[in-house]
Amino acid sequence: MMSEIYYVIPEIFLSLSLMFLLLIGVFKKNGSTIVHNLSLLILIIEIPLILNVPSSSEYLIFNESYKIDYLSNFIKILIVISTLFVLLTSSEYLKSIKIFNIEYPILILSSILGMMVMVSSNDLIVFYIGLELQSLALYVLASFNRDNILSSESGLKYFVLSALSSGLLLYGCSLIYGFSSSTNFLQISYNYNESTQGIIFGMVFILVGLAFKISAVPFHMWAPDVYQGSPTSVTLFFAILPKIAALTAFIRFLYTPFVNLIDQWQTIIIFLSIASMLFGAVAAIGQKNLKRLIAYSSISHMGYALAGLSTGTNQGIQSSVSYISIYLIMNLAFFSSIFMLKKDQRYYESIDDLSGLSKNHPILSLSLLIVLFSLAGIPPLAGFFAKFYVFMAVIEQSMFFLAIIGLLSTVIAAFYYLRIIKIIYFDKDIGKYDTDHNIGLKISLIFTTILILIYFVYPSSLIYFVSKINLV
Amino acid sequence: MIAHAFFFYFFSFIAVVSAIMVTVSKNTVHSVFFLILDFISISSLFIMIGAEFIGMIMLIVYVGAVAVLFLFVVMMLNVAKQKNTWFKSSTNSAHIPIGILVSIIIFFEVIIVIGGWKYKPELTKQIVISDITNTHSIGNVLYTDYIHLFQLSGMVLLVAMIGAIVLTFRKREGLKRQSYFKQISRERNEGVSILNVKSNQGVKIDD
Repeated sequence: MMSEIYYVIPEIFLSLSLMFLLLIGVFKKNGSTIVHNLSLLILIIEIPLILNVPSSSEYLIFNESYKIDYLSNFIKILIVISTLFVLLTSSEYLKSIKIFNIEYPILILSSILGMMVMVSSNDLIVFYIGLELQSLALYVLASFNRDNILSSESGLKYFVLSALSSGLLLYGCSLIYGFSSSTNFLQISYNYNESTQGIIFGMVFILVGLAFKISAVPFHMWAPDVYQGSPTSVTLFFAILPKIAALTAFIRFLYTPFVNLIDQWQTIIIFLSIASMLFGAVAAIGQKNLKRLIAYSSISHMGYALAGLSTGTNQGIQSSVSYISIYLIMNLAFFSSIFMLKKDQRYYESIDDLSGLSKNHPILSLSLLIVLFSLAGIPPLAGFFAKFYVFMAVIEQSMFFLAIIGLLSTVIAAFYYLRIIKIIYFDKDIGKYDTDHNIGLKISLIFTTILILIYFVYPSSLIYFVSKINLV
Repeated sequence: MIAHAFFFYFFSFIAVVSAIMVTVSKNTVHSVFFLILDFISISSLFIMIGAEFIGMIMLIVYVGAVAVLFLFVVMMLNVAKQKNTWFKSSTNSAHIPIGILVSIIIFFEVIIVIGGWKYKPELTKQIVISDITNTHSIGNVLYTDYIHLFQLSGMVLLVAMIGAIVLTFRKREGLKRQSYFKQISRERNEGVSILNVKSNQGVKIDD
């Protein structure tokens, strides 16, 4: 028992430090700044702690209900680094809309604690507790700006719909427990030799619940409203982190308990993928709000990530994981640019507000250009490589239909990304925005944009790490 | 076994009838009373099949916390305006007859379930493997095999608490709060001043 604790040091450190932050917040007057800075420090310390956990082979701890392997460690590092950037970019925004409270970083930390549990779960109960921990914090974060009616609405909407999806997921879990008499992922895959009907029924419910969390079509209805209503920093968090965690949960479910049911789940995942890619591409065309647009764009991106998973091969999983890694960098860059559209303590988030941006802010426009080209998947930027890996894996399994649909929706989606670029560079100038941004925001914009730009120089850097993920 | 079947049908009948009454009755307070009755009947059913832990948890969580909370909310929101014509009574005390009816049924149920306790071994002899009780066996694994889940549930509750405070707590301006330290350390010369009042002019207080 004691030796098992060695493997969960990152989680234990995170939970203890967030309680410590809570104490500081309670006893220190006006402790918001110190709590925010300490949470950045905690996240930085978290990286070596995760790297220190051995990941050369699979370790099953706590009665085989918790799994430490290369995938879990890789995703945990991804989660911690992107949370670091989310907090770095959002402090200025939080200050100016007056929600710079101590609870904000604490809720974010507890949410990523839940995600860490989710990505290394090997048991239905552990998975569910992790999922609830992360989404309970997200409900509160969505309505964090409680004086704003849109923010409260988005929190309530997210809560009600997410509770519904949790109900479906739990129903599936109970069916699977009933038919396989175990909650352990490995045991489930051993136990269902005779009666697969009930297991398939339960699996469908679990996949529906998970598809809800990554907002795949047809379970996407909450995403645009929640993205638009929440404070922009929370939208950034929504667009990146729950998706990483839920996609990893997809990988865990599909390739451990349901690995022998590949014929059954493959059709479901292919349907989710095609529907998300097409719907995300078509529905984003008419949007006027940047946050709504990015919601539809993220729906379509999740479609590509699911396309990689649907292949059922190691290469497919690897392509999905590299897709989500590049996706999070692009989203960080895009939101950092949105945070710069500030004038007189007000943030602008409509597409028309970008009109003629290049006349006054050439550097910001250039980085937006790079990010949008990358989101559209234009070579030689990072977004192209992400799509390239996925299509490679899909074509290797001769799933040509999926690949063709994916390519078509890329072309459709390119329209609305390019339209924004046209508005930035060729439309009428509507005035200057503030330029005195804090250093964290500038650093993250520069860092992520350069990463997108120079990814093609040495693409094997990401491939090297991702290729160690071997599950099948 | 006949006695057992009788009790089963008795409790199930009450559970079904009260569940219907929750939705049918026009008065929200009465609905909550029937909801409590429903929970208690179902927990009696659980106790009868030997799952006394779940039965007691049902009582504590649903009846003790949730239903009473509902009752408070309903009474405070004052939504129970519609008059129910089944029990005629004077203006304000319409809740009392239903309340008394429900509590009488609950009283008999409790007597029966305690009386019927001795029929439990007869039923559960076939399914019980060892002689430790449910509560013991849950306790055996909760703090050993499932300790990580126990701790994580604690984190979930902590987040729920933080969330409730974040969303509802607001600092109000101009609110007068009691400060014991200030009260105790007040001296006579701060509070009382002796004035020489001229006749027909009065004193000005609170300037």
